[in-house]
Amino acid sequence: MVDIALGDYFAPLQTLANYVSELPTSIQLRESQYVMPWVFVSHVISMCMFAGTILMMDLRLLGVGYMQTPFSQVQRRLFPWQMVAMFISSATGLALVWGNPLNYVTNIIFWLKMLAMALAAINALAFHFITEYTVVDWDAGRLPPSGARLAGWLSIILWVNVVLAGRLMPYALTWFRS
Amino acid sequence: MFDYKTFETIAGWAVSRAINESSWIFPLVQAFHLVALGFLAGAILMVDLRLLGSGFSNQPIAKVARDARPWLLASLVAMVLTGVPQFMSLATKEYESPYFRWKMMFLLTALIWTFTVKRMVAYSPEGRFGGGLAKLVALVSIGLWTSVAINGRLIGFFS
Repeated sequence: MVDIALGDYFAPLQTLANYVSELPTSIQLRESQYVMPWVFVSHVISMCMFAGTILMMDLRLLGVGYMQTPFSQVQRRLFPWQMVAMFISSATGLALVWGNPLNYVTNIIFWLKMLAMALAAINALAFHFITEYTVVDWDAGRLPPSGARLAGWLSIILWVNVVLAGRLMPYALTWFRS
Repeated sequence: MFDYKTFETIAGWAVSRAINESSWIFPLVQAFHLVALGFLAGAILMVDLRLLGSGFSNQPIAKVARDARPWLLASLVAMVLTGVPQFMSLATKEYESPYFRWKMMFLLTALIWTFTVKRMVAYSPEGRFGGGLAKLVALVSIGLWTSVAINGRLIGFFS
């Protein structure tokens, strides 16, 4: 077991988590035998849709997949599905935290997941506002420029970490002292 | 072959017990199983969304299917490589779990569907199958694979 006293750093959030955990909706969610498993299931299914459509777009960005389709087309067609899936996974993720806030607030793997998600969002915005401006130059058939490939790599690495962290969260208690 | 004794033997193998006794092998294998699931879902959806007409409608379906194929096959291999160790270490529990049986039945059906009907429709000359039929094939594919994932998740809850 690795000795990380994470709880000390999250004292203010701990108060908030305590408050949420005592709200009737949180208690109901936590104690529901059937709702909680289905929230988990919906979270996984929407993750598949989100990660799937993001990862395939990233492969195109790296120049290793779907090269017969111009990047802008891959991006434009997948975008609505990515947004719908992001909405469902955010809503179900929020419900999971709402039902068991105390499980997450001092969980180091939960915070690593949040960090990876924040970095992935910054990466996506940076790509959208900087690199994507030149998309006409490399849209069809050619290897995307290094900036685009970097964005693709960062996206894959960060989202893979989000998925890994999501699954490994429950084990934080056995691996680290919180 | 599918009796309890077989499952018990598998669970008793040294490898299976090693996976079970380690505090990190099983969690990591499980986590990478999910990563592979992300790639698999992506490769399946690329073709299904196209068949539904919401994908790259100005791209021939066969082109998209051909581009998706290596990623489909690679992620299926990764799924098996990370799935089998989980099964081995929990073989006796999986024997009892109705969700494991459902998952395997849906998986078999989904694989057959993907590599026969969906493959035929995706690779056939454009327009040979009507739009309605292509949509139906895609919806069945999404339904089958979603059922595999749902039952997979439920194994962990109610076994």
